[in-house]
Amino acid sequence: MLARMSAAKKSVDLFDVKKVRQLIELMEEHDLSEIDLKQGDHGVRIKRGGEVVAVSAPNARAAHRPAAPAESAVPESAAEARMLVIKSPMVGTFYKASGPDAPSFVKVGDRIGPEKTVCIVEAMKVFNEIPAGVSGQVVAILVENGAPVEFGQPLIKVDPGA
Amino acid sequence: MFKRILIANRGEIALRVIRACRELGVETVAVFSEADRDASYLELADEAICIGPAKGADSYLRIDRVISAAEIGNVQAIHPGYGFLSENSHFAEVCRSCDIGFIGPTPEAMERVGDKNSARALAREAGVPTVPGSDGIIGSEQEAVKVARQIGFPVLLKATAGGGGKGMRVAANDLALASAWQQASAEAQAAFGNPGIYLEKYIERPRHVEIQILGDQHGNVFHLWERDCSTQRRHQKLIEESPSPRLPQATRQKMAEAAVRLAKTAGYFSAGTVEFIVDQEDKFYFIEVNARIQVEHPVSEMVTGIDLVKAQIRVAAGEKLGLEQKDIVPRGHAIECRINAEDPAANFRPCPGRIERIIIPGGFGVRWDSHATTGYSVPPHYDSLVGKLIVHQPTRREAIATMIRALHELRVEGIKTTVPIHLEILSNSAFHDSQIDTTFVERVLLSK
Repeated sequence: MLARMSAAKKSVDLFDVKKVRQLIELMEEHDLSEIDLKQGDHGVRIKRGGEVVAVSAPNARAAHRPAAPAESAVPESAAEARMLVIKSPMVGTFYKASGPDAPSFVKVGDRIGPEKTVCIVEAMKVFNEIPAGVSGQVVAILVENGAPVEFGQPLIKVDPGA
Repeated sequence: MFKRILIANRGEIALRVIRACRELGVETVAVFSEADRDASYLELADEAICIGPAKGADSYLRIDRVISAAEIGNVQAIHPGYGFLSENSHFAEVCRSCDIGFIGPTPEAMERVGDKNSARALAREAGVPTVPGSDGIIGSEQEAVKVARQIGFPVLLKATAGGGGKGMRVAANDLALASAWQQASAEAQAAFGNPGIYLEKYIERPRHVEIQILGDQHGNVFHLWERDCSTQRRHQKLIEESPSPRLPQATRQKMAEAAVRLAKTAGYFSAGTVEFIVDQEDKFYFIEVNARIQVEHPVSEMVTGIDLVKAQIRVAAGEKLGLEQKDIVPRGHAIECRINAEDPAANFRPCPGRIERIIIPGGFGVRWDSHATTGYSVPPHYDSLVGKLIVHQPTRREAIATMIRALHELRVEGIKTTVPIHLEILSNSAFHDSQIDTTFVERVLLSK
């Protein structure tokens, strides 16, 4: 099934092999068969089980928003349906750790409680620690370190039933 | 010129600014609340950032989120539109301290003209006539009676912190003044958190005539002549036009010059509007300054041929307005109708909802400024403006005919709009004879 995403501007280079590999991993994780990504005037479409198709044609629709990818996917299973998403309560820049050399606040697989700081969103030079607000196991970190996030943007996926 | 601008607003004015930017080659970042997520004008921006849930206070009015969006959006300046943060001098200050351009006046000029009392003092300093009234806020009922007797009844009590008709009362004599004073104070406290009331001479059957001014950062200030906004209901403008019908040229000239003098005295640049009241003897009095681009700015654009929003952006970027006052010559007659999602048959009850189908009028001299599209849902959280229909023709008579024709062509299906009231006003003989004042709509049409 198809998921539409718009890459966060400037901090994600769609044609970086490492990123493409991460995307494929994400696709496998969420059982997606096709991903269609746009960044400015360029786009990439990846089909699982098929070939990687890079499309460089200018996109008629120039607008892109740092909107959530996984949110638009239709839940495939009961497991997917019960997933909780920690959303950004503010506008700013997402950091997964308190400093460039510090360990990440959370990793995939970690069990967390509501008080646990899961990330930092920096706005106007103020580093705001974001609490989980939910309990469960971290399933996915949905935003790149250092990427801009908007209000309501999904940051971290948590499985409450795990 | 800026490389990128953030538009801290929504709806038709956000679209208006996006259009100006696209023509200037400036990139745009639009912000939106969750209620505006599906608005199609967002697709015309280079980037769109969600800044909060539906409520204005949690989104468009959130200075911190707007500034954060400006930072992650990498913009050099912010256009505040009208309403929301456009006349918030603290916001303009924050922009300045964050090294982000504010497309409007300086915080100082904004404050000087923004508070109604300080503006009156400014007008006196600039030699601009003001409505005879109290010197600031009235401290007591006794003081109110004293001042009222000095300036002569009837008097109008107004809230110093207010607008939109709240905290306003008319009193015809001493007795009525006591209760009017209590009521106005209480209403002002409830609506604005400030019970301060000042007094003015009540002008009967006034006309609301405002002067559009435009200044740059090099000390040049121009006027773009007037707009007559007398066609109002409960202090909300329904129809605006230019030139003001039946206004003598000498009066027009004096008002325009007074507006420029006032702006210069305040150190005001960018776009702004100086509002006046004109009495039945064509004497004019200063009321207030709107330190922002206004809803009805297209009326002035049509008669002068000057793009006001582009001018604002150029001014903010430090450009000199390459204009000469003598070259700003109004041509023809322009009329604007504000099309609101309200039901005129049900006391103008707001009608938010989904627009099932919209058909937009066109033709020679017709302009439609709106963010509404087929399938668009008018949200209940903001103002009810669906779009502005503007016409421009060589004469007032032709402009009225074109507006009627265009209103009949306009189809907004799925919600109620104020189109019927506009048609009624435009076919009214008093309107045709330019016998309009601010009491016209309520007196003639709604008292039936």
